[in-house]
Amino acid sequence: MKVEINGGQAFAHLQVELAPGESIVTESNAMSSMDANIDLTAQLNGGLVRGLLRKYLGGETLFISRFSNNTQEPRSLYLVQPTPGDIRCVDIDENGLFLQGGAFLACTPEVKLGVKWAGIVSFLAGEGLFKLYAHGNGKLWYGAYGALVDKEVDGEYIVDTSHLVAWQPGMELKLQLAGGLFSSIFSGEGLVTRIEGNGKITIQSRSLSGLGSWLNPKF
Amino acid sequence: MYNLILTGKLEPGTNPRDALAGLAKLLKVDDAKAREIVRNAPVCIRRNTDAAMAERVVAAMKAIGIRIQLEPVAAAPAADGLAGTGVGTGVGTGVGTGEVASTAGAANAVSVAKTTNSAASAKPARPEQPSTSLKVIAGGKPAAANPVDKAQTPDSQQTAQAPHTPAAPESFKGFRYQLSGQPDYCFISVEIPAGETIKVEASAMASMTTNMLMKTRAKGGLSRFMSGESVFINEFTADTVPGEIGIAPGSPGDVKHLYLDNEEVFLQNSAFVASGMGVVAESKWQGFTKGFFSGESLFLIRCSGQGDLWFNTYGAMIEIDVAGDYVVDTGNIVGFTSGLDYDIQSVGGYKSLFFSGEGLVCRFRGHGKVWIQTRSVPAFASWANWYRPVKKK
Repeated sequence: MKVEINGGQAFAHLQVELAPGESIVTESNAMSSMDANIDLTAQLNGGLVRGLLRKYLGGETLFISRFSNNTQEPRSLYLVQPTPGDIRCVDIDENGLFLQGGAFLACTPEVKLGVKWAGIVSFLAGEGLFKLYAHGNGKLWYGAYGALVDKEVDGEYIVDTSHLVAWQPGMELKLQLAGGLFSSIFSGEGLVTRIEGNGKITIQSRSLSGLGSWLNPKF
Repeated sequence: MYNLILTGKLEPGTNPRDALAGLAKLLKVDDAKAREIVRNAPVCIRRNTDAAMAERVVAAMKAIGIRIQLEPVAAAPAADGLAGTGVGTGVGTGVGTGEVASTAGAANAVSVAKTTNSAASAKPARPEQPSTSLKVIAGGKPAAANPVDKAQTPDSQQTAQAPHTPAAPESFKGFRYQLSGQPDYCFISVEIPAGETIKVEASAMASMTTNMLMKTRAKGGLSRFMSGESVFINEFTADTVPGEIGIAPGSPGDVKHLYLDNEEVFLQNSAFVASGMGVVAESKWQGFTKGFFSGESLFLIRCSGQGDLWFNTYGAMIEIDVAGDYVVDTGNIVGFTSGLDYDIQSVGGYKSLFFSGEGLVCRFRGHGKVWIQTRSVPAFASWANWYRPVKKK
């Protein structure tokens, strides 16, 4: 399988070439165009009940798509994400990777996708009840709004809740107020995530709430 | 042999105050001195130490919660080839001083560059040995360059003849910072020395170290309120140890950094992102004729004083040196320097004002710089406005 990330940082997309017999799993409606004889099968995203829970409480889709090339020739397709922004490819191993809801774009079939309960506090912070957990051996592509910036967490670190995209397991996430009560209400920062442990996190360099607060006064 | 570098980082779960007290006790200095040492971190606290001694110091420091980094040293002073004076390319940020301990000639040499604006005397144990090379890095840019690479570039060889250039920390200006995600979604990471403070636009903080304390202040008052911006601004202070903050502006676009040295820059209302504490940012009434027609708002932000200033654009940024007259569409102005006078005009009579779509422009006169953005916010707003959901009654 050959996958290229094209389109620059602002409007990144994937160009996928499937060799005969290969397939790729994607978020539903991620496909923008493809060769006509690639087969699409929709599959439930982790069981019906969990899938429904995720759809209505976690802001994720109920189905994920599987594109297979059952012909004798290489075939290609293009995958896009809904937000403007960057896409990144990561190698997934047994340690796995956590993704914020909505960040997942595509993965090779060997990667197992699961959901983990993120806690009621996460839901209150507007981040959904579930987080995606990917593990196995393969490649995964995820994207976000804005550029993707890596941070090495060594001990503890604070991230604005709407900027966190991906993080390695073994770190604990806690929600806290950004400052005192007054500051937290009027600063525009509100709740922040405190990350404890050692590992790598990825944040997006823009957030939808930031866009809103910039644009709304202009209307 | 090792050099011991105090990184300024703490072990997880350590109270910074306890760590400082412990450090003061360990080094047999008073609290103020210990604070100064940490403030200057990363700093080399001991040179050419053997492995056993190094291990003891690391263990002792770890016990009080302070992290020490070991840096291998070549036994012989083989560091001649490393005496590179790398001149960075920081834009308008001045040049800081850095110090690289004598290192093995290998590519994995750890470079410890230090830039602070406090006196060099605060650094303990800095013998001027022949094997000690000095490295100058740009204050505004990260010390990403590996010393070996620096030494190989021809222009750094020319400037490498003075390894004993006296360190002049006074010449360092501003905070060290790094821009990533340019040009579409620029992200700013700023390193804040202990005790220093940075002003950041409300809700622009994206990430920070846990020792950054936030304080919210009202700013600009009525004018900000009227223009729909947040009337608050946040101040982040690095408590006790150096910290780091990641800043994400709201609009998609680029970021420009300036170091103001008692200069004045005018910014469009929403362009301000962050500044050092020496910069005074205040809203300035533009007057009805200038302000009302300039598309954005009745107010400009006047930034003056001394310190770092970061501002952002919507779209890409173009910097224009103006000498004489220059015309900019009102929606595309980001900022301009104070040497310029301006007024608002229509491009070609009133007919074109209503029908050409060009409408009003800003005509600058004099000498100075104008920064423009390649997209206009009012144009975006009017384009997006059609697609905004309508509330059903």
